[in-house]
Amino acid sequence: MYMNKVWRLAAPWMALLVGLWSSQADAGIFWIFDPKGVMADTNLKYMIIDVLVMGAIVGITALLVVWFMWRYHKGKNRGSYHPEWSHSNAIEVVVWGIPIVAVGFLAYFAVKGTFELNPYNPTVITKNMTPQSQRVDVDVIATDWQWLFVYPQYHMAVANELVLPVDTPAFFRLTSTSVTSGFFIPQLVGMIDVMPGMRTKNALYTTHVGEYQGICSDYAGAGTSWMTFKTKIVPQAEFTQWVQQVKASPKIMTEASFDRYAEPYINVHHRVAYFSQVPDGLFDHVMMEVMDGKTWPIPPMMTENMVAYMAKQSAEHRD
Amino acid sequence: MLVDLPGGWNPLLGRLAWSQIPYDNPILAPLFVAVVLGGIAIVALITYYGKWGYLWKEWLTTVDHKKLGVMYIIIGLVMLFRGFVDGMMIRTQQAWAVGPDSSGVFGALHGYLTPFHYGQVYTAHGLIMILLAATPLLVGFMNIIVPIQIGARDMAYPYLNALGLWITAAGAALIMASLFIGNFAHNGWFGYAPIFEIQYSPGVGVDYWMWTLQLLALGTTLGGINLLVTIIKMRAPGMTWFRLPIFVWASLSANIIALTSFPALQVALGLVAADRYLGAHFFTAGLGGNLMLYTNLFWIWGHPEVYFVILPAFGMMSEIFPVFSEKPLFGYITMVLASFAIAGVSWLVWLHHFFTMGAGPDVNSFFSVATMLVGIPTGVKVFNWAFTMYRGRLTFTAAMLWALGALFLLLIGGLTGMMLAIPAINYMVHNSVFVIAHFHSMLLVIVYAVFGSVIFWFPKVFGFKLDEFWAKTMFWLFTGGTVLVFVPMYMLGFMGMTRRLDYVFNTNWHPYLLVMEGGIVVYTLSVFAFFVLLYVSIRDRVKNRVGADAWGTSRSLEWLTHSPVPFYNFAVTPHVNARDEAAWRRANGIAAVQPAKYVDIHMPNNTPVALYIGALTFVLGFALTWRIWWLCLASLVAIIVLMIVRSYRGDPGYIVTAAELERMEREAIARERQVDGSAGEPVVGGAPAVGRPAMAYERSDLPKTSTPPSMGPGAHH
Repeated sequence: MYMNKVWRLAAPWMALLVGLWSSQADAGIFWIFDPKGVMADTNLKYMIIDVLVMGAIVGITALLVVWFMWRYHKGKNRGSYHPEWSHSNAIEVVVWGIPIVAVGFLAYFAVKGTFELNPYNPTVITKNMTPQSQRVDVDVIATDWQWLFVYPQYHMAVANELVLPVDTPAFFRLTSTSVTSGFFIPQLVGMIDVMPGMRTKNALYTTHVGEYQGICSDYAGAGTSWMTFKTKIVPQAEFTQWVQQVKASPKIMTEASFDRYAEPYINVHHRVAYFSQVPDGLFDHVMMEVMDGKTWPIPPMMTENMVAYMAKQSAEHRD
Repeated sequence: MLVDLPGGWNPLLGRLAWSQIPYDNPILAPLFVAVVLGGIAIVALITYYGKWGYLWKEWLTTVDHKKLGVMYIIIGLVMLFRGFVDGMMIRTQQAWAVGPDSSGVFGALHGYLTPFHYGQVYTAHGLIMILLAATPLLVGFMNIIVPIQIGARDMAYPYLNALGLWITAAGAALIMASLFIGNFAHNGWFGYAPIFEIQYSPGVGVDYWMWTLQLLALGTTLGGINLLVTIIKMRAPGMTWFRLPIFVWASLSANIIALTSFPALQVALGLVAADRYLGAHFFTAGLGGNLMLYTNLFWIWGHPEVYFVILPAFGMMSEIFPVFSEKPLFGYITMVLASFAIAGVSWLVWLHHFFTMGAGPDVNSFFSVATMLVGIPTGVKVFNWAFTMYRGRLTFTAAMLWALGALFLLLIGGLTGMMLAIPAINYMVHNSVFVIAHFHSMLLVIVYAVFGSVIFWFPKVFGFKLDEFWAKTMFWLFTGGTVLVFVPMYMLGFMGMTRRLDYVFNTNWHPYLLVMEGGIVVYTLSVFAFFVLLYVSIRDRVKNRVGADAWGTSRSLEWLTHSPVPFYNFAVTPHVNARDEAAWRRANGIAAVQPAKYVDIHMPNNTPVALYIGALTFVLGFALTWRIWWLCLASLVAIIVLMIVRSYRGDPGYIVTAAELERMEREAIARERQVDGSAGEPVVGGAPAVGRPAMAYERSDLPKTSTPPSMGPGAHH
C-alpha cells in the first residue's frame, strides 16, 4: 500500500530523467562520450573497459541484494531461515576472490593507460611520430582570468582562442601567473593543472575539423566561470591563412605589456585578442618572474558587486 | 605587521570594522535579523519555563558520554541543515545563471550570487558537510554507543570528552560567525595553494576557514584519543577482541586514522598561517615556496579523513543489517579485516585527488593501483552485508531501509570510484561535476547510515521509538531528492561540466540543472518530514515506549541495559559470554536476569571547565582571524591557566551507593515491565547464572577488571 504510493509519486520523475537522457543522448552534448581527438578517444576506451568490468560486478551484486530482499522477506516464506548461519569458507573465497581478480585485471589497464596518456609524453600520439614530424607548439599562460596562447614557432600570441591545424600533433607547455587553474578541452584532451612558477605539459592530436569548448577546469577565483576559450581545429591551409591574419594585427605583446595584460580581468564578453609579435621566451620569463616572487594580487572583495566591478573594468579600456 | 594587509588595522579591534558587517547584503541582513529574533525567542522560552538550571546542570556541564554524544549529534544535524541550505543556494544559482541571457539580481551579473559569494557558499558547504555534519554525527554515535557496547561506565576520559565537544562547538560557532562578521573563504573547502595566500585572498575568509579547521581538527583528535583508550582499556570482563561488536571495531579503525592523520592537517594549516601571518613562503608560487606540497599535505590528511567518516558508517550498517535480518553478521572476522585493510590502505592513496597535477606516469600508476585496492575490502563488505540477509528473515523497518539505501549508494559510489581511480579516465572527469556526484554518493552513504542509526539507536538513548510512518516517508523523499539531484549530476559530468561554476556558459546543461533544482525541492520536503517525524514521535512518546531490547531481535551488549540508558550505563558490569551478547542471552533464556547484588559505583562529577575552554577557543579563533593580538594573548593565557588549575584540582568523582543504585534499577525495571510484558518476571540470578564459565554479571567478590573513569589523584578509594 505504502510502496504503491511511493512508486506512483516517483514514476513521473523517473520518466522525466529517462526522457531527458534519451531525447538528448545522441545530440552530441555528452562530450565525454563524443571524443574528437586521440587523447579523449583513449580516455573513453579505458572508461568503457572499466565500466564493463565493474558494471558487471556491481550489477550482479545489486541484483543479488534485490533477490535476497525479495526471497527472505519475513512472513513471505519464500526462503528458509537459518538463524545461526554466518560463515562459509566457500563464500569467503568468492567474496575476496572476485574483487581481487577484478582489481588485478583493471590494474593492468590502469597502468597501461597512464603511460599511454602521460601528459609529458603521450605515447598514443608520439608513437606515430618521428623527429621530423610536423608539430605545433603552444605555450599556454593562464592569468587571472584569461588564457594567452603563445605560438613560439610563429612568434605570435592569441588571447582566449586556440586555433590548431588538423592532423598535426600539438604540444602544450603550461604555466600560470597567479594561482592554479586547469586546462581542459573535453572532446580533445583531459585536464592538466596549470600552476604558477611551474611548467606542466600536455598534447593533443585530432583528425576532426571543428570547434570545441575549452574550459578552465580548476577554480582560480572570481573570473573562473568566464575563463573559457574556443578551440578551433582547422585545415592546414586555413591555419596558414589564420597565422597571416594574426601576424597582420597591429597589437604586439612585450614583457612590459604582458605585466599589464596579466592583471585581474574577468572575460565576460569573451574578448579575443591577436598579438602579432611576442618576445621569444616569454613563457620562461613569466615562470622565472613568478619563481622570483612576482604576484598579480587581486583587490579585496573585487566581485562583492559584480555589476559595479564590470563597470569599473570596462572603464579601464584594457584592450 | 609582518605582511601587508589591505584595509585598515588597529591595535584594539585588529581588522574588525563596521564595514565588515554585511548589513547591506540583501541575503545576509534579513537572515541576521531572523537569527537574532530566533535567538531571543529561544532565550525567552528557556527563561519562561525556568530551564536554565536544568540546561546548565544536565547538559552544558555534563561529562556523561551519552549526553555529550547527543549534543554532538545535535550540532551535526544543525550543521547538516546549514550545509543543506548552502547546497540549495548552490543549486539555485546554477539553475538560474545559465547562458549570457540569464538575468541577475543583487549585484550579480547572472543569478543572485556574485562569484565571491558563490565561492563562499560552496566552500562553507564542503567544510560544513564533512567536518561539521558527518564528523560530529559519527563522533556522536561513537560516543554514545561504543562505551555501552563494551560495557563501560563512561569514556576513559570523561572531561576530555566534554572538551572535545566544546571545541567542536567553538569551530561551528566560528564558521557561523563568518556569516555576519566579515566573510568566509571563497576558494573551496580544501583551499588550494596559492589561491589562499594573502595576495589572492586578502580578506579574513581564509583565516576563518583555517582556524575553524584547526579547532575541528583539535576537537576530533581529542575525541579520537579518548575512544581509542576506551576501547582498548575499558572493555567489560569477557569482552575479548573477537567478541567486540562490529561497530566498536569500526570505531577503533576509524580513530586510529583520526589520531594519526589530523596532525598532518594541523601542521599544514600551521604552515598556511605562517604564510598569511608571518609572510613565510611555504606554499607560495615564488621565493622557494612549493604549492604542490600543500596539496599533498592536505590530502595526506584528507583521504584518511574520508575513511575516518566512512568506516563508522560501515560499522553502523553492519549493526543494522543483522538485527533486521534476525541472524548474525556474515563473516565477522572478514569484516574486521576489511575495516583495517581500508584503514591501512587509506594512507597510500592520497595522490588520486590530484592525478592531473602532472606527476609522472609511474607515480600516478602506483597511486592508481593502490586506490583500486580499496575496492577489495569494500567489495567484501558489500558481499558480507548481502550474505547477512541471505537465509535471514528480513523486516523492512525504516532503519533497515536507510541501511539498504546506503548499500545501493555504496555500489554506485564504488562503481564511479573505480572509474576515478584510473588516471586515464580521471583526466576527463577530475574537477568535473562527475567527481562531485561520486563523492556525494559516498558521503550520502554516511548520511543514510546516520539516519538509519538515528532511528535504530534512538529508542536506546531516549526510551521510545521514532514514528515508523514518518521515518519511511522521510526516507523515500530523501531518496527521491538523491536520485533527482545526483543522476543528472553524473550525466552533466559526462557532458564535461566542470565544478564550481557560478555562471554556466552552456545552455545545453540547463534542463539537467532544473531537474536538480526539483530534486532540491524534494530534499526540502524530506527535511520537513524529519521535523514532522520528531514532532509526531515526541508527541506519541508514551505510546512508543520500549523496553531494553527495542527491536526484539537486537544482538549486541547495549540492548541489555535499560532504555533510556541510565547515566551509569550498567548497574553492575555485565560479563560477556558471546559475540552477540544480547542475542546469546535471549537464546539461553537469561535476557531478563538481573544482578543479585549491587555495589557502590564511582562516577565523574560535572564540570564547567570544558565549556569555558571551548568558549575561550572560540574567542581565540575569532581573535586570530581578525588579528586582535591582545585578545589572542588573553584568551590563550586564560585557556592555559584553566587547564593548569583543573589539572591540580582533579576530580574526586562521587559515589552512587548500592542502595541508591538498587532503587533506580527497581524503578527502571518496573517502567520497562509496563512496556514489554513479554520480558516477564525479572529473574534475580546474578553470577554465575548459566553455569561456569559463563556468567551474567561480573562477580562483585572478584577484583574489578574495568577501572572506573580516571579522575586524577584521590580518585581511587
